[in-house]
Amino acid sequence: MKAKDIMIPFKDYLKPDNTLSEAVNLLKGAARGEAKIGVMGLPVLDDKGKLVGMLSMTDILRAVHPSYMDMMNLGDFTWDGMLESLAKQVRDKKVKELMTRTVIIVHEDDPLMECVDRILKNHVRRMPVLDKTERVVGMVYLREIFFAITKAMLDEK
Amino acid sequence: MTQEIASTSGEIVMGLGFWIATTIFILAYALIIWEKVHKTIIAVFGAALLIVLGIVTQEEAFNSLDLGVDWNVIFLLVSMMVIINIMKPTGVFEYIAIKSAKVAKGRPFMIMAIFSTVTAVVSAFLDNVTTVLLIAPVTLLICQALELDVVPFLITEALASNIGGTATLIGDPPNIMIASKAQLDFMAFIYHLTPVIIVVLIAYIISIKFIFGRRMVVKEDLRQRVMAMNENEAIKDTVLLKKSLVVLAVTMTGFVLHGMLHLQPATVALFGAGLLLLISGIKEPRHVLAEAEWSSLFFFIGLFIIIGAVVKVGLIKWMSIKVLELTHGNLFGTSMIVMWFSAFASAFIDNIPYVATMNPLIIDMAKQLWPNLSGIELLHHPDLMPMWWSLALGACLGGNGTAIGASANVIVVGMAEKMGHPISFKQFMLYGMPLMIESVIICMIYVWLRYYVLMI
Repeated sequence: MKAKDIMIPFKDYLKPDNTLSEAVNLLKGAARGEAKIGVMGLPVLDDKGKLVGMLSMTDILRAVHPSYMDMMNLGDFTWDGMLESLAKQVRDKKVKELMTRTVIIVHEDDPLMECVDRILKNHVRRMPVLDKTERVVGMVYLREIFFAITKAMLDEK
Repeated sequence: MTQEIASTSGEIVMGLGFWIATTIFILAYALIIWEKVHKTIIAVFGAALLIVLGIVTQEEAFNSLDLGVDWNVIFLLVSMMVIINIMKPTGVFEYIAIKSAKVAKGRPFMIMAIFSTVTAVVSAFLDNVTTVLLIAPVTLLICQALELDVVPFLITEALASNIGGTATLIGDPPNIMIASKAQLDFMAFIYHLTPVIIVVLIAYIISIKFIFGRRMVVKEDLRQRVMAMNENEAIKDTVLLKKSLVVLAVTMTGFVLHGMLHLQPATVALFGAGLLLLISGIKEPRHVLAEAEWSSLFFFIGLFIIIGAVVKVGLIKWMSIKVLELTHGNLFGTSMIVMWFSAFASAFIDNIPYVATMNPLIIDMAKQLWPNLSGIELLHHPDLMPMWWSLALGACLGGNGTAIGASANVIVVGMAEKMGHPISFKQFMLYGMPLMIESVIICMIYVWLRYYVLMI
């Protein structure tokens, strides 16, 4: 099987100038296959439809987590209400300020092992699928690859 | 005196080697100031070029005490870095900072004063950049809790770290370099620099009280956030902490006694680092060793070789003759010029290459003045001692003048910007420059009073 056989067709995306509050709304209500149950990450496309980044829930967590807390062990000294007030402070930040710019992608004709290789080596859980003209045509999720593995394992033939 | 000096200048042969070394030296310093290429790359390439061109031999660059890399400085720095890197995960630095905020009872100026004092004291024993990197994250957290503008806190801490670093041999790289070249021991710095630094620090705290003290008010419920923090939770590894503190105590005792024991400071530090590596139970030392500031260390290595080359060809000697001509051999005047010139030079350029140049210059100057003396008799000539202290005080404290004067300032400005509170060059200078001038005036009075009036 190839990437295109398991990908979820491309539908929702973010723009670089969306604010974070718009972005979280889209993440919450984005379609995953048929159902609009929300997704953990969305591709960011510019006006010409070119893929310029990815924004995931982890990026949103990172947006509210002050960078000084990365430098020392300060988790024990935070307080109730800190997260909420920081969330309010960052809601007008732009997607382009927080998105991951080096996007890990696959092409639609790449074999599934290539998908697994990229997921494991780059610690991502989803990847945009591009066609030959470098347009986004779908998304490959960890879960779909897992289902492909399950199917192969349980297939008696 | 002037005539005598002029006659010795005949020895300098300004041949091809002189001009090659001088050109590379000037170009390297210009490129370091220009900051387009990383300073370490410039220093390493410049050094390699000088060896390739045969201005200094590899033997001289690697092994000569007068012309080569000062391994005493390199090993002291790297050993202290290793000790700190092993101690960091214990949580002791978080503990100290949180405890300080609670001792201040969450009152803003008290926090500023205590954080500045703690920064100064810690900086006296650890590298200034390390100290600021350890105190600044906690400062940002505390200011967030108290909803205070963090900028005054960060600026006052950077300035305090440069003040504190001046107090001891191991506090700031210029002092390490001066100690190594002038063969001064740890207790000499304690005896000659620590007293004046204590006065400077007290004057500094009083000054920041006037500058920032009135503007800061905090609501009671916000103070409770700080008071609710439990500093004991910071300690993550009690066993390693105890081991580290023992090693730190051994190392500090070693520094105090190194003159008597006839051990170089680098030997003491290396022993501390080796001992802590041994007893810490670390299986694979790669991480703690890799986290040392290799870029700074290679900057030092390259710089030492470049300076060695210009010493060898006589440029530094020529400069020292010019300085003496300028001051007509008046040593008090020379001391004061060295202090003030060092302060303003260090405010705008890196004080490390500056001191690397000034060290041999002062030694050459001494050789002009007392041609019959050599070794310790020359380096520790009673009339020369105030020069070393003036250089140390000027070069270390001068860093406070601008945002680029000291590495601690650069770090703080970078962190403030990342947190969305950019500090402009002008804004930093508005506080830094007057406070720097204040501190140098205090030092000037001190040097004059102690070495030229009271003569003690």
